[in-house]
Amino acid sequence: MPAPALAAAGGQAGGVTPGAGSDPSPPIDAASLARALEAVVGPRGVLRRRSELAVYTADGLPGYRKFPSLAVFPANRAQLIDVVLVLAEHGAPFVPRGAGTGLSGGALADDVVLVGLNRLHRVLSLDPENAVAVVEPGVVNAALTRAAAPFGLYYAPDPSSQAACTIGGNVAENAGGPHCLKYGVTLNHVLGVTAVLSDGEVVTLGPGASGAESAGYDLLGAFVGSEGCFGVALDVTVKLTRAPQAVRTLLADFMSMDDAARATSAIIACGILPAALEMMDGPTIRAVEASIYAAGYPADAEAVLLAEVDGLAAGLDTDAGTIARICTAHGARTVRIASDPADRARLWQGRKKAFGAMGRVSSHLVVQDAVIPRTQLPAVLARIRDIATRHRVTVCNVFHAGDGNLHPNIGYNAYDADESARVDLAMREIMRICVDAGGTITGEHGVGLDKIGYMELIFSPSSLAAQCRLREVFDPERRMNPGKVVPVHSCREWSRRPS
Amino acid sequence: MTAPSEAWAPQTAIGVQDAVREAIATRAAIRIAGGGSWLDAGRPVAPDARVLRLDTLRGITQYTPGDLTLTARAGTPLREIAEATAAEGQWLALDAFATSDDGGSIGATIATASAGPLAYALGLPRDIALGVEVVTGDGEIIRAGGRVVKNVAGYDLTRLMTGAWGTLGVITEVSVRLRARPEVDRTLALARAGPAESAADVAAGLRTAAMAPLAAELLNPALAARLGVTATGSPVLLLRLGGNAERVASEQMEAGKLGDGAVIDTDVWRALRQCERYSPGAVVVRWSQLPSLVANTWRHAVECCAGSPEALIHASLERGVVRAIIPAADTAALARVLHPEDRPSGGPVFVGRRIAERLPARLWSAEPAPGTTDRLARRVRMAFDPWHVLNPGILGEGARDAADRHGGSP
Amino acid sequence: MSSAGAELRSTTGAHAGALDPRTPLARARKGLDACVHCGFCLQACPTYLALEDENDSPRGRLLLMRALVDGTLAVSDPAVELHIDRCLGCRACETACPSGVPYGELLEATRATMAPTHPIPWIGRAILWLFAGRIRLAVALWTARLFRATRVPDALGRLPGRIGFGMAMLAASRPALDRRSRRSYRPQGDRHRGRVAVLHGCVMAGLFPATNRATIRTLVANDYRIVKARGQRCCGALHAHAGDLEMARRLARANVAAFERAGASAIAVNAAGCGAMIKSYGHLLADEPRWATRAATIAGMTRDISELLAAAGPRPGAPVDASAPPSRVAYDPPCHLVHAQRVTDAPAAVLAAIPGIGIVPLADADQCCGAAGIYNLVQPEVSNAVLAAKLAHIAGSGADWVVTGNPGCLMQIGAGLRRGGHHARAVHPVDLLDAAYSAADRVRAGANNPVTVARP
Repeated sequence: MPAPALAAAGGQAGGVTPGAGSDPSPPIDAASLARALEAVVGPRGVLRRRSELAVYTADGLPGYRKFPSLAVFPANRAQLIDVVLVLAEHGAPFVPRGAGTGLSGGALADDVVLVGLNRLHRVLSLDPENAVAVVEPGVVNAALTRAAAPFGLYYAPDPSSQAACTIGGNVAENAGGPHCLKYGVTLNHVLGVTAVLSDGEVVTLGPGASGAESAGYDLLGAFVGSEGCFGVALDVTVKLTRAPQAVRTLLADFMSMDDAARATSAIIACGILPAALEMMDGPTIRAVEASIYAAGYPADAEAVLLAEVDGLAAGLDTDAGTIARICTAHGARTVRIASDPADRARLWQGRKKAFGAMGRVSSHLVVQDAVIPRTQLPAVLARIRDIATRHRVTVCNVFHAGDGNLHPNIGYNAYDADESARVDLAMREIMRICVDAGGTITGEHGVGLDKIGYMELIFSPSSLAAQCRLREVFDPERRMNPGKVVPVHSCREWSRRPS
Repeated sequence: MTAPSEAWAPQTAIGVQDAVREAIATRAAIRIAGGGSWLDAGRPVAPDARVLRLDTLRGITQYTPGDLTLTARAGTPLREIAEATAAEGQWLALDAFATSDDGGSIGATIATASAGPLAYALGLPRDIALGVEVVTGDGEIIRAGGRVVKNVAGYDLTRLMTGAWGTLGVITEVSVRLRARPEVDRTLALARAGPAESAADVAAGLRTAAMAPLAAELLNPALAARLGVTATGSPVLLLRLGGNAERVASEQMEAGKLGDGAVIDTDVWRALRQCERYSPGAVVVRWSQLPSLVANTWRHAVECCAGSPEALIHASLERGVVRAIIPAADTAALARVLHPEDRPSGGPVFVGRRIAERLPARLWSAEPAPGTTDRLARRVRMAFDPWHVLNPGILGEGARDAADRHGGSP
Repeated sequence: MSSAGAELRSTTGAHAGALDPRTPLARARKGLDACVHCGFCLQACPTYLALEDENDSPRGRLLLMRALVDGTLAVSDPAVELHIDRCLGCRACETACPSGVPYGELLEATRATMAPTHPIPWIGRAILWLFAGRIRLAVALWTARLFRATRVPDALGRLPGRIGFGMAMLAASRPALDRRSRRSYRPQGDRHRGRVAVLHGCVMAGLFPATNRATIRTLVANDYRIVKARGQRCCGALHAHAGDLEMARRLARANVAAFERAGASAIAVNAAGCGAMIKSYGHLLADEPRWATRAATIAGMTRDISELLAAAGPRPGAPVDASAPPSRVAYDPPCHLVHAQRVTDAPAAVLAAIPGIGIVPLADADQCCGAAGIYNLVQPEVSNAVLAAKLAHIAGSGADWVVTGNPGCLMQIGAGLRRGGHHARAVHPVDLLDAAYSAADRVRAGANNPVTVARP
């Protein structure tokens, strides 16, 4: 578990010390570093005042606050490379950040330099014939789809934060989203990355826009999901997807989570691969219905399933009908099919803004991201309910049921010490039962800071050490995003082992 | 040079670990063999390498049909997985070319990242592998990824091991994503008139057609004849359509616009995968560039193979990959394939990448080793196989590897 | 994860100087708790898009407000002042926010809390002073109108800098439609839709009197009965947005009393900013026992002019120029209509009653134009950056007319178009509808020589 942040953050912004993840090294001359960075990006591109760094102390996950030592915002590719070179010359650890919508604390800089990539937001090229685009890392996910739409194309991975999150951040976290059930996660849609490594070397990973198969190690596959620890993307080549000929969106509501979970398992087993299969429980439904994104979910339901099938028009209604029958057979009160695109959009808005709508329930929020085998859904959801009752906390479940990717959210009041402690215990127990069920600790949010303490639940020391070795291939000095993903001691133990 | 020692035949990951540790201790080289498909591909692995057989490390260790995932030991033949999953109406959509009689193993398929006709619609091995257990070149047993379909916990060693040809670690167990078998699985053979422009208009037609085939493979006349799908001596387009009855019927109608078609036995795909057996000892290469240029790639392949009437050529149109099996005796065609720059100009320029699959051993030394010699790749190798005991030379990096192995230390 | 709560607690414990609980921001703090920091507001925020620093985003400003409440930042911190000052107050973030953070209220509370230590710039104070007095404002606007008539502002409007922009704004307030298409007519209506009092507004009455007359004619034509509301004042929006809540309340009380006396069933407002303000009187006067209910009642009766017209149909007009090809019209919703009042469909219904025009889509239409009350005078650089994006979208739309129902937006966009040499002109939707009614009147009168509208 991370050390209390404010203890570290309380230090004066004078001598900068490398972040928690690094071994001790000589202190960095903060003033000279800031001057050198200003020489690259201009004075407006560097923030040093503590009051202006305050807004960069958090990402999309409430609960963590870490003050960067300074923040730098390159405006273009050349500036970004020069910024990384300056940081290398100073031996300064740093954290790349996109839009700060991540949910694992992955983009927090604990007294190290924050490199903001939000100003690199150009779509560099778009090849409609091959359905390929090359974009800068700060391009917003939804903006890419807008750019592709005139060609009948779109960018398939659709994290719920797609209106704000960036492609660079998506690559760093290997982001998912509801439609990843059918279309795959970010990894499956990235064809290439040009990245600058921590020492300033620029490397090209994957086939990129050339379209030719690449040979050799799949370093692109390793880079995607490396949480900003391997390099900073200068550009990303992504695969675009042809807009489906037809879409059918179904909403089924249930009087129990158990029924909805069993319906999910049955749909997955029946052979149809829905584009998305999402579940929301009663408390979530009611939070959404109270928001401006009210989607018309029945407010008295204990669960709704949002299912979508897409593709060729022929045969699609048959598939939608099969799913509707399965839902009804498993106790759905009503099943309705979105009548038009606006209705469909409304049903989806409710789902995608559900996390934000939790702010209506309580002032603070923890969110988990465990994945379990899909047959375990009913059993695990029942156990989560028991845990919540035992610890007197309210769990809101809104998640990618088709993937078995759970997002239990617990709203609480962080100023209440007792409640905070109970939330903590409940979350640990939930994570433990997910791992025991054969699952994993994060499906799309990343490990970051938030889940680093759970890594040893699923990986042996030698497996963690192997991850450290891969990281050091890219960043031997471990200056990028220090203190994230793999617990520091796992790396230390490996590097100190007798050879 | 001493005679090759007896092969290791471990039955557990620990047995594999023992073998790797033994090799480290003696600075010996290991040749990893799953189903044995690649032993005769001519790849220049250190000649003194001792074989590590994995066909003894077999068996499905976890399969819950409702989860649509499966975990198997590395040496498990794909055939065995196909049988187990077919009983549940599911399949592992890995139909790699060059897998001998479905005896190819799951471990080797992942380790070589071998793909087949289904790859465009249903994914490459990197898209299908969920997790691996590996014995790394320094003798550690590690696990990466997991058994669930979505997982971003930790750095992605699964992707790193996929396609590394065993040079970073010996894969001992693999978890994969399964698919439900389509309700209808129908194959059409469409005869095409006119040889040269065939690929061009077929590819264009496919892109605009209201269909999303599971596979679309163009065959040259020689291959079409070999597979017995045509007697007219023209190229043939094989289409595999899947889905519910209504959808497949609609796609079949649409396919009619691309050519005169006939429904044929789905078994043709198995024959296509193994078409190398028609030409023992043949050279196998593939070319890859942008899918929109596949017609260009196809013409390049056809021109290179001119004068080799027995050369078998096929294209995975949607992926932009063209593959050729050329009898070893057709030296003129071989020379054009391997050294296209020597060819008299006039044909379309091919700017993509040519990748060798099978070559006579003496020709491998002239092959470029793209992507394995740069700085990052070398560092990866040093990080996971510091003594270069695993399949040294298999990626065409032989001379340097040997030097690293004997002179270098991690 | 375990330390999440502890960290937040230590944020508050680390500094002793928590904000005085009696300040407006401390009292509004509950609104801050709704923010879960999801970031969905970022791409909705014009200043974030222009400046690309989260300090100039809603999420960032909410964090600054939180720091003020917790006392980790001082109210007089220059960074806080800079970034709170730079907020347009367009409230586009509110329509993007799933948690329902009351951003507009929090912003006003923050500015009011900062006001004692952070005086408004002289130009802003001068304008607020002007608007607070009925006589001096009338004199000032009458002078401006006279000056406008000299056409001198048209020439000066080409000068660079703030003066030039101000002159271009004045020039842009001149009626967009030519005299013939604005020709008066006697509207026919049966008055059955109820008694409506019209807010005259300050800038509307002073610089857009023709639009005010058109408002009354189109209401009558759609069967409303007009009643006078004497004693009405400036709505107080400029004062509230600048943090002068005291003056805003004083003006609000005067208006509540004036509209009560009118005995209307609805209050029509043709300036989106004023409409949003009057609709929030209930909130503004909530703490005044004598006024709270009365203010809420008046607020509940207030309607944007487009809402009243849409509720009536509205009656269709005739093509303003039957012989010309349809003019391309882009609708640019004022922030205070779409985000603050959440009025989205009514203006389209108004435009649908105007034959002979073609609606063209305007990219990012619901983003602010940078006018934002007096913002374009006190923050000219940011305002220009925001306006530049709007002008580019207008050029891309190919529109001849940009329709928007707020004087600030009309003058801001109008000035931008003039200075950029663009042929398009900004116009109030009511003016277009009124011209269509005027044309219909002439058709009824049997005039078979329809007048030609000067195309912009």
